[in-house]
Amino acid sequence: MACHGNPALSSKLQNGETISLYVDRNGFAHSVHGKFECVACHFDVSRVPHAAEQFVNRRAVTLRYYELCKRCHFQEYSRLLDGVHYAEIAKGNPRAPTCVDCHGAHAIAPPAKPRVLISRTCARCHSGVGAAYASSVHGRALTEENNPDVPVCTDCHDPHNNSNPLAASWHLNIPQLCARCHASKERMAKYGISTEVLTTYLNDFHGVTASLYRSEHKSPVEFTATCTDCHGVHNIARVDGASSPLIKANLLSTCRRCHPDASASFPSAWIGHYEPSPEHAPLVYAVKLFYLLFIPFVIGGLGLQIILHLWRIVVRR
Amino acid sequence: MNEYVIRFSIRQRIEHVCAMVLFVMLALTGFAQKFVQAEWAQWTIEAMGGIDRVRCFHRGAGVLFTALTVSHLVLGLIMVIRARAQPSIIPTRKDFHDAAMMMRYYLRLSDEQARFDRYDYRQKFEYWGMVLGSGLMIVTGFILCFPVLTTRVLPGEIIPAARMAHGGEGLLAFLVVITWHIYNVHFATDEFSFDSTIFSGKISLERMEKEHPLEYAQLRAEKEKREGTAEAFEI
Repeated sequence: MACHGNPALSSKLQNGETISLYVDRNGFAHSVHGKFECVACHFDVSRVPHAAEQFVNRRAVTLRYYELCKRCHFQEYSRLLDGVHYAEIAKGNPRAPTCVDCHGAHAIAPPAKPRVLISRTCARCHSGVGAAYASSVHGRALTEENNPDVPVCTDCHDPHNNSNPLAASWHLNIPQLCARCHASKERMAKYGISTEVLTTYLNDFHGVTASLYRSEHKSPVEFTATCTDCHGVHNIARVDGASSPLIKANLLSTCRRCHPDASASFPSAWIGHYEPSPEHAPLVYAVKLFYLLFIPFVIGGLGLQIILHLWRIVVRR
Repeated sequence: MNEYVIRFSIRQRIEHVCAMVLFVMLALTGFAQKFVQAEWAQWTIEAMGGIDRVRCFHRGAGVLFTALTVSHLVLGLIMVIRARAQPSIIPTRKDFHDAAMMMRYYLRLSDEQARFDRYDYRQKFEYWGMVLGSGLMIVTGFILCFPVLTTRVLPGEIIPAARMAHGGEGLLAFLVVITWHIYNVHFATDEFSFDSTIFSGKISLERMEKEHPLEYAQLRAEKEKREGTAEAFEI
């Protein structure tokens, strides 16, 4: 710290830029690593002054030093290797994030205190998504009331081993992803949201198709709608809000995104996330009830005839 | 007993084989979709090469089944109109009497059994159950295949209602076939274990006299009128 505590300490990079080598002693002391010595991470430094290193640019410095984290955080590091961010690092994309780009280098704070920090961290690169999220029902609850139930980025997207959200396998897994919260009775009860959303979806045509495609583990032949195709992705709004794609007035145009020839009565083919009942979808309920009674009636009647017939010809000839 | 009559024409026999094969295909591909949460259903779908192929098979078999049903009804109607065949499958008042009489017989309230014509009440019940059920399956199947087209003229709720009806009616048909039909053609006749008439077309005079006495009596009368003495004769 004798040298690096000096704010003026800097070094020239090969591309002509100057990089500050100053480490804020106070910031480090208050970081999660504040109790460690410098050499705990910079283990290759054994003498002072240490040997000088040459770097092409800032990115080369980052790429050299983020590798230091894995000595302790090996699990996170190895998970990172499977994620899309690392794939970009490996391709040489200079904008792909390494450990220090999200977590910082010396002044490392807990990433989720408060939780809203996570969304802000991601939004530094993913600004479009960040803005959409911030105005969504989830994002507003997070920023306005620090709601602990709404998801932040990393609840859906694994921060280290983050799979490609544009892949078909991701799309087909969305119902299970949303269900992690939306099928939880405890969590949904606070907001009066039905937890039948998953089962009612899975029992319907789209849901059956999506789950079968999912278990087939190959690219689907046809596109089938999952949660986000109707509800929106990062910009998810309340279903009863005026701007919701799902209130009656907007529903037809939502359906038409996939069914361009749909007529005005087409959207009501979807009876919502409800089990058929006399209030919701009385016709479907009536048909269901009819077969619930009619099948046992017919089969029971025929079965009774068979038994009587057997009884007469075999037992009481 | 080698004497027999031809009970079913070649066309009727072919229709039965087609209906049987298509029924099995439709039931297999249909129930795999209806009970998709069950493991056996997912296994079946995977074994057939995925849901898209299963749907393709199901719809293909449905189109063939529709063609079979329509051709059967149209040809049957033409035969009746041209007086080439008797509309002997139409239910009559006698069928209800027969059913009541057999019920009394089964319950040992009487020892008298009904005397049947060409088709007994159980066969008529099954035939018309199948015709009406097929009609419902064809209409609801069409609705499910073309939901966008259907909702141009009908309210949207028709689609989930048709889905419910298609599944319910299919299950009912399947259960009737595996209980009632299988029992009646495999166990309830004198040809215990397998009544082959619908495949060979032939029924022995002995069985005919026993199971369809009115038809047999009419046949006898006609035969005597013709004074023919052929060993085997057709109706």
